[in-house]
Amino acid sequence: MTVEPTLQQSASALGRAVIARLRGVHKSYGPVRVLDLPELDLYAGQVVGVVGENGAGKSTLMGTLAGSVHRDGGEIEIDGHPLAPGSTAESGRLGVALVSQEFPLVGQLSVAENLLLGRRPADSKRKVVVDGAAQRRAAEAMLSAIGLSPDSIPVRQQVRTLPVPTRQLIEIAKGWGRDPKLLILDEPTSSLGPVEAKLVLDLARRAADEGRCVLFIGHRLDEVREVADRIVVLRNGRLVADLEPAEASEDRLIREMVGNEVAHSKPKVAPADAPVLLEIEGLTADGLGPVDLTVRKGEILGIAGLMGSGRSRLIHTVAGAQPATGGAMRLSGERYAPKSAGEGTDAGIAMIPEDRKLQSLVLFAPIRDNVTISVLRRISRRGVLGPRRVRAEANEIAGNVKVRMQSVDQPIGSLSGGNQQRAIFGRAFAAEPRLLLLDEPTRGVDIGAKAEIYELIDRAADSGMAVVAASSELEELLWICHRIAVMHRGRVAAVLDRADATKEIIMTAAATGAGPRQGTQTALEPNGNPT
Amino acid sequence: MSAPTLTPADAAPDAESARPQSSSLLRKLAATPEAGVVLACVVAFIVFSIAAPTYHNTDNLQVMGRDLAEFGILAIGESFVILTGGIDLSVGGLAGLAGVLAGWFNATHGMPAPLAIVLTLAICAGVGYWHGTMVNRLNVPPFVITLVTFTICKGLALSITSGTPITGLSNVFGDLSLYYIGSVPIPAVIFLVVAVVAWFALERTYAGRQIYAVGGNPEAARLAGIPVRKRITTTYMVSSTLAGLVGILIIGRLGVADPSVSASGYELTAIAAAVVGGVSLFGGEGRIVGIAAGAILLEFISNGLLAMNVNEYYQTVAQGVVLGVAILADRIRAKYFGASRK
Repeated sequence: MTVEPTLQQSASALGRAVIARLRGVHKSYGPVRVLDLPELDLYAGQVVGVVGENGAGKSTLMGTLAGSVHRDGGEIEIDGHPLAPGSTAESGRLGVALVSQEFPLVGQLSVAENLLLGRRPADSKRKVVVDGAAQRRAAEAMLSAIGLSPDSIPVRQQVRTLPVPTRQLIEIAKGWGRDPKLLILDEPTSSLGPVEAKLVLDLARRAADEGRCVLFIGHRLDEVREVADRIVVLRNGRLVADLEPAEASEDRLIREMVGNEVAHSKPKVAPADAPVLLEIEGLTADGLGPVDLTVRKGEILGIAGLMGSGRSRLIHTVAGAQPATGGAMRLSGERYAPKSAGEGTDAGIAMIPEDRKLQSLVLFAPIRDNVTISVLRRISRRGVLGPRRVRAEANEIAGNVKVRMQSVDQPIGSLSGGNQQRAIFGRAFAAEPRLLLLDEPTRGVDIGAKAEIYELIDRAADSGMAVVAASSELEELLWICHRIAVMHRGRVAAVLDRADATKEIIMTAAATGAGPRQGTQTALEPNGNPT
Repeated sequence: MSAPTLTPADAAPDAESARPQSSSLLRKLAATPEAGVVLACVVAFIVFSIAAPTYHNTDNLQVMGRDLAEFGILAIGESFVILTGGIDLSVGGLAGLAGVLAGWFNATHGMPAPLAIVLTLAICAGVGYWHGTMVNRLNVPPFVITLVTFTICKGLALSITSGTPITGLSNVFGDLSLYYIGSVPIPAVIFLVVAVVAWFALERTYAGRQIYAVGGNPEAARLAGIPVRKRITTTYMVSSTLAGLVGILIIGRLGVADPSVSASGYELTAIAAAVVGGVSLFGGEGRIVGIAAGAILLEFISNGLLAMNVNEYYQTVAQGVVLGVAILADRIRAKYFGASRK
């Protein structure tokens, strides 16, 4: 299945100048090799689509080219000039421009100042004092260059007062304004509406027609297929396929991205006779609801939806981390109205939030302190903790979920993403919750480790916990869940049994809010959408 | 992200950022951090003028001008550092030490006053360079490294003088602090000049705008090729040098080089003035107009309380309350008018 990339990968590349030549470029974080490219050439006049799952190495590839990631080894040449690793200034000088949401704008400065950050307008003679008029002229020219009318974006305005899509366009104008030979667009349309997205796709096309090379990292396959002259697929840091648009059907791309992973063996059947654990009725919160849902003991309910559809909000509201503004919840029939996440925990709820580093772990603290935090009361004697007891408990918790580590005394930050996530599951299990809430349970976890996380989720359900898992990865939900609730604009657009759920149905419901033509005998009828 | 990934294709823009942009003047004013503090200055002045008849006579205004110059200049220097997201706790201690050094060079070692002043300012600039280097190269938190300097300065000022003020200073010092241009005390003129120069540097030069970028988004600044370290070091040098200047003004006012100046808490007043004036402690935000107004407000209030014969201990309480109210008002403003600061 693996395609060994060669110099003549792409027939259409013949006779074109090489803009970027990568040889043996690799990068590891800890023991995990996140990028390993023996050979890759990017040609002038092409839009190269880059696709791959989360953690496939797309961002690392971009960062390596743009200099924001310090590669461990290998050679990169841009237009014949060698590129030293880890210098954004050097990359910029050689003609690489990266447009990425990771490096946003300076919100406190004006649009014009952001567009010309770090340089002077070309027609300004003053070296020290800012020539405001020249700066604004240059900024307006940069905006018109990408096809925006200068009236639509006031260049004097502070960037942070502008909506996200506008900021995204400003970033693109900023990258374009450097007249790059290699323009890297990292999910450039992710926050844009259809009109602006079209503008960006046209721009990528235009750049290629002008003889530049565009590296287009896409999150939507249809978009990538539309714009790209060549599509490369990354998986686990390796280039696994290098395709002409004609061969790059959606199925083919997905197959290459996912590799030969086995799909979940059996579609799970919801335990219809188990008692209901969580009932949600007309629940509302900021940006959410009204939502009606029910989850049974031993059941895994998936929450699907586009970004901003309320997936995380629902999880947070149930956990008590975000205040509910209306509606009711019941846990095993008892009224449950948490005013804080602490009350949620006391009621027997464990939440594993989306961002491990920010929301779950104290990275520099030892594993033992991180995993025992949920059970301190239980393992302390009248409020006093014994170090031996803590260590023993930590070993048990970590062993229970098979965290691979040298000792519980090492900082948890030294573990791989998958191991960290397992430790967090161990911590959640240790509190013996009734309800386990998961938000993006496998984010930033490599594929091998994902399967192990799925096992843990299954284990939780088998032991009688009710599990609610929100995820942006459809495939994941289809593997792990008994039922899937699809959110659209804060409401539940559809609830699907695993057997009835397909990617298409979920996507349709998520994008349009339209549920499937009903007729499925969903055991429960929670459909928050009035349609 | 891939096919089986749901990400926003045409998801609505982040609600957080799509705040309604009202054009009403009141809203605009409320959304400007400086408007409130300028207004507060006016109100405070009027109230105190009514409450204490001596408040707005020339003598008192001159006193206020001289006092204002001292922590106003400190506040401006401090703000440079805060704009990059740092903090400089050493300014009070350094001002005290600078005064002692200048006096020591001049009175004890017979150095001509102008030379003593220049040498002192150069030493202070060196201290700023040291701060910048430690923060940039070794990643020492600004809070820590400047606290170290503060402690050393305090100690040095006491050791040099053995705890007793140095007397016999050249008249130059006194002249600098006590003379007038027209009827405006020279320190107030210096404050004005410093404020105008700082305003110009921050608002109208590339280096100044880049300081805002460094504080607002260091990563974006770095990637845009801005010499981040150089900018940070510059701000510490500005802060330290201005602290030195203030120290010299203080010994001129007192007529002696008093080591206890270094421990009188000037740095906190300076930080307070900056914060009251709308400088964000997270960096990247705040303007000279607001900082100057913040300093003026604090001076109006402390002097006003004095004019009203309020017990001196309560004056300190009152200053704390003012600071609290200012911060509260700023948070409320930020919450309701969108200019959120995280």
